Amino acid sequence: MRAREPDAEGYVERDGVKLHYEVFGDGAPTLLLMPTWTIVHARFWKAQVPYLARHFRVVTYDGPGNGRSDRPLDPAPYQAEAQGRSALAVLDATGTERAVPVSLSMAVQWALWLMAYRPERVLGSVFIGPSLDIAPGYTGREEPFDEPYVSTEGWARYNRYYWRDHYRDFLEFFFSQCFVEPHSTKPIEDTVGWGLETTPGVLLAENDAEWVDEATLRDWCAASCCPVLVVHGTKDRISPLRRAELLAEATGGALVVLEGAGHIPMARDPVRVNLLIREFVGLAGPPAAGRRP
Amino acid sequence: MTAVQAPVSAARSAPEQTRARYPDAKGYVERDGVRLFWERYGDGDTTVLLLPTWSIVHSRHWKAQIPYLARHFRVLTFDGRGNGRSDRPAGAGAYDDEQYVADAVAVLDATSTREAVLIGLSRGGRWAVELAAARPERVLGAMLIDPAISFMAPLPQRQAFSFDEELDTTEGWAKFNRHYWRREYRDFLEFFASEAFSESHSTKQIEDFVGWGLETGPETLTLTQLGAQPASRSEMEATLGRVRCPVLVVHGEDDQVRLHAVGAAAAELTGGQLVTIEGGGHCPQARHPVQINLLIREFVESLGGMAR
Repeated sequence: MRAREPDAEGYVERDGVKLHYEVFGDGAPTLLLMPTWTIVHARFWKAQVPYLARHFRVVTYDGPGNGRSDRPLDPAPYQAEAQGRSALAVLDATGTERAVPVSLSMAVQWALWLMAYRPERVLGSVFIGPSLDIAPGYTGREEPFDEPYVSTEGWARYNRYYWRDHYRDFLEFFFSQCFVEPHSTKPIEDTVGWGLETTPGVLLAENDAEWVDEATLRDWCAASCCPVLVVHGTKDRISPLRRAELLAEATGGALVVLEGAGHIPMARDPVRVNLLIREFVGLAGPPAAGRRP
Repeated sequence: MTAVQAPVSAARSAPEQTRARYPDAKGYVERDGVRLFWERYGDGDTTVLLLPTWSIVHSRHWKAQIPYLARHFRVLTFDGRGNGRSDRPAGAGAYDDEQYVADAVAVLDATSTREAVLIGLSRGGRWAVELAAARPERVLGAMLIDPAISFMAPLPQRQAFSFDEELDTTEGWAKFNRHYWRREYRDFLEFFASEAFSESHSTKQIEDFVGWGLETGPETLTLTQLGAQPASRSEMEATLGRVRCPVLVVHGEDDQVRLHAVGAAAAELTGGQLVTIEGGGHCPQARHPVQINLLIREFVESLGGMAR
């Protein structure tokens, strides 16, 4: 059961991959709540959609590999540019001329592609818990991904063979790292459930898609000209705060650091995140005329 | 009766969590030498008195109700004797039902409240019944949430263990035992909280509950238990039958501390309405706050109380 059902939904096909989208509300401008790692699907925005849809038009979609979208097993649709083009396809399919993309974690790369290559479609951009190679990730997670696992402790579980053998356990581990805030049993239950809607095979295909290198990221940042907001938790164990700082610097964006928050603050600090998005959009785009504050 | 000021424990000196809504007025009322701490929120036309419950917790157990209700009504809370900022008098007699009922009247007097709608959880539900029966002119209506009325539908697994005797087991409800409390008070609190919050994802409510429980101690809690000498079945039935004001009973379907049948019987004997909280445990005000708040508001408004 949802707090807010979509007003419209549909599928768009791009390069043979069917993607499911939903539209909520009819305010202005449009927010594009982007997918992220395909380990979850569009419901990870569940604490944002009902609130934001009262003020703006909100478009969400399941990325390739989860939710009601197809589950391609080749890496191509998971490449950053392909993901950017998928976002574009959803904008086109929903008749959205311009939008404010809101992206979490690795999806930040896809939003950057949009900003660099389709600047006329982007009013402003919100990055949350950015995970991208603008700065190194955490160290101490160097166990090889592609070799049979020796250890089953901690990040050693981030391993091709472990995923195949103990997928659920990996999900529980990974999301316990995402939700380091106390009292996160519900978001962990939710995300593990969404993770189980896809398969290790899909995650492996996605894993084979190359990440965008630092030089390219910096080019994209330099090419983007819209207002930017970067939000990052001080307790993010997936992606270091340094990345958010550098991303804000490279895009000329504002950085908001959430004290005590982990990698997915929209689930555990929803009010804070919702207000930040709303305030930012109020600055970045036309006001939602005639709507109750 | 003599009041004995209990020493302030280390736990009490821990800073209180921030609140969504702070009181507009607060104070102490002294009754028979026992000081009771009350708070008032909002200034609506109708007063809602959120009664204390078993002193294993204090008035913060209403934290999910106060901010909402205070926007519509005048809301009073007070810490039951034995916890929070109220005194911890000596002697089990200081904790019998009559004392809590008289304390509620003292708080109404101290806050110049002629009449109020009573909301009582668990033991607080019993006191709401007693107060409504004894002082009908002060009570506009009574809402009983998961009321504790002992003779009705006792929990079998609870009945199996003595409170007073040393037991040779410490499993489950055997923890509800004064000797165990002295030895393993915190473990008892954790057990009881996990029974009270049978819903999934209750870690925060359990943490709060245990924290409030640590603000009192096993000695005082033992007195509250010894003092709670419930009336006989016939007396209690007569009391329930004497209630003339409108009554709403709300009971968690899955209450593991006081069975749903207790609420159903209380509704029947008072001629009140019964609302069942689907999947609800013993403290639905904490785990189903929106539903409970709307029920309280509707109930108060149905009494002719004007919402602001």
